[in-house]
Amino acid sequence: MKSAFKKRESRSGYFFTLPTLFVVFSLIIYPLCYGIFISTQRTNLISEWKFVGLKYYKSLLTDPDFLGSIKISLTFAFFVVLGNFIVGLLLAVILNQNIRFANVFKVILMLPWLLPEVVVALIWKWLFNPTYGLINFILNKLGVIDSDVSWFDSSKSAMAGVIFIAVWKGYPIVMIMMLAGMKNIPKERYEAAAIDGATRLQQFRNITLPGLKPIIVVTCILETAWWFKHFTIVWLMTNGGPAGATRVVSIDIYQQAFGNFEFGKAAAESVIILIILLTTSYFYSKVLRDEND
Amino acid sequence: MKTTNAKKYGVMSDVNVARKITNTASYITLFFFSALVLFPLLWIVSTSLKNEEDLFALPLQIIPEHPTLHAFKQVWVDHPFLAYFRNSFIVVSIATFVSVTFSAFAAYGISRFQFRGRGAFMAFLLGSQLFPSIMLLIPYYKIYMRFGLINTHAALIITYVSFSIPFCTWMMRGYFAGISKDLDQAAQIDGAGRFRVFRSVILPLSWPGLAATTIYSFISGWNEYIFALVLTQEEEMKTVPVGIGQLVGEYRIDWAQLMAASLYALIPLSIIFIFFNRYFVSGLSAGAVKE
Repeated sequence: MKSAFKKRESRSGYFFTLPTLFVVFSLIIYPLCYGIFISTQRTNLISEWKFVGLKYYKSLLTDPDFLGSIKISLTFAFFVVLGNFIVGLLLAVILNQNIRFANVFKVILMLPWLLPEVVVALIWKWLFNPTYGLINFILNKLGVIDSDVSWFDSSKSAMAGVIFIAVWKGYPIVMIMMLAGMKNIPKERYEAAAIDGATRLQQFRNITLPGLKPIIVVTCILETAWWFKHFTIVWLMTNGGPAGATRVVSIDIYQQAFGNFEFGKAAAESVIILIILLTTSYFYSKVLRDEND
Repeated sequence: MKTTNAKKYGVMSDVNVARKITNTASYITLFFFSALVLFPLLWIVSTSLKNEEDLFALPLQIIPEHPTLHAFKQVWVDHPFLAYFRNSFIVVSIATFVSVTFSAFAAYGISRFQFRGRGAFMAFLLGSQLFPSIMLLIPYYKIYMRFGLINTHAALIITYVSFSIPFCTWMMRGYFAGISKDLDQAAQIDGAGRFRVFRSVILPLSWPGLAATTIYSFISGWNEYIFALVLTQEEEMKTVPVGIGQLVGEYRIDWAQLMAASLYALIPLSIIFIFFNRYFVSGLSAGAVKE
């Protein structure tokens, strides 16, 4: 009796899940495996297919350009995620208080998330324009600079610039996630703490942060993955320049594949990135979970 | 609530002063970040209204001296934006419809039934967010080339469906998990089959979740850049982000037209956002929070 029920249960489960399972297998898992296959080939994707085994992997692991671009991506992702969390969490905490016009602020503060990355990159490119940009105009007026600075011509300020723009674009999703998480923390806890004379900072440290932990873990993993593999904003702002200073891994892969037509090498690079991301997220969830116990 | 407690315990004045300070600080922070968000947006509007001379006039004109709608008209003439918009609309609406439908089914499946592979499937949904999408670029390019799908809407639709389905399923699952299973059972006792329960009982209750997934899927498709860039080469098949992106590559960038095009691109996003916004936070949170 019970097993017949179970059978029907699982049949219904498969029935509902099947279309998505089909999509997942044919559009994600199969292409991924195909990508791994391509990474073992010397190929132009049309006529030339030559098995080279792990050659690309071996050469990539000692390739200063590739390792350099991994480092650049790590730096970029680290500062963007950090910035997103600082800004997103701060704004979420404020918006979660009984504040007037909270909804108006929330809508305004969410706008960058809505904008296409292409548009974001373009606005800032125009704002940072050395001669006609609003930013230099304002800094000039304030007396911070006295000539037209080309922010994206020096490697340090170019990196800082793309990080700033990415944070401008990226903090709203962290803010939304944190707001969502805070809705699930019972109000009574704060009231009890207030009676005991806990300051806002103490309340934040001892109630808000622990309550948000699960959602912080998920958001942190997703954010790191999203920004580590980010392409559009950096590509449109700098093309990876100046002198490769902002050449993140995605740009490297894109240029290997569609610039040099080294599809096998580019595929091998993406497999290495996948391994890095899987390891990082495993590490994250482990560390954060252990701390919890 | 807090003040009444404070009154009761006789620490009113201190608490009130501290409260006022933090409140003021809160408002300053909110105004600061709102300004940081709004001033680039206003700069788009200002730039789009300038004529060619004012665009490169020094000192900078914060408010255009000779405002004109020229760029808003000319951008349709100088560039095939009509085609870009048509392509984006076709691709993104079909992809959104398919992903939301499929993921609602799948999410209902994993939130209500026990079956083998369920845990692995759920882990995969979140894990798939880690795959560098660029990793799929090369295999996709090759597969589409083989089936002659480069420069077609189908290629982009398939791509966007595969991108948004995992996260949409994840969000919907959280939403369904918040709807009591007693409802399903009550309907079943009344003789409804599993599919009818889903369609007539659960779905009508799930509008916020469906709205949130729709927004997510639409926005991520509408804004996607790199796959559209690689998978379409003919002018007639390009999407809005690719069209806007390539205006930058031109020798002399017409910033007014570029900003006008950007504003046009924001219209559908704003409409969808205004309609569905209030469901968004609740829908997203359900997906992310419920274990």
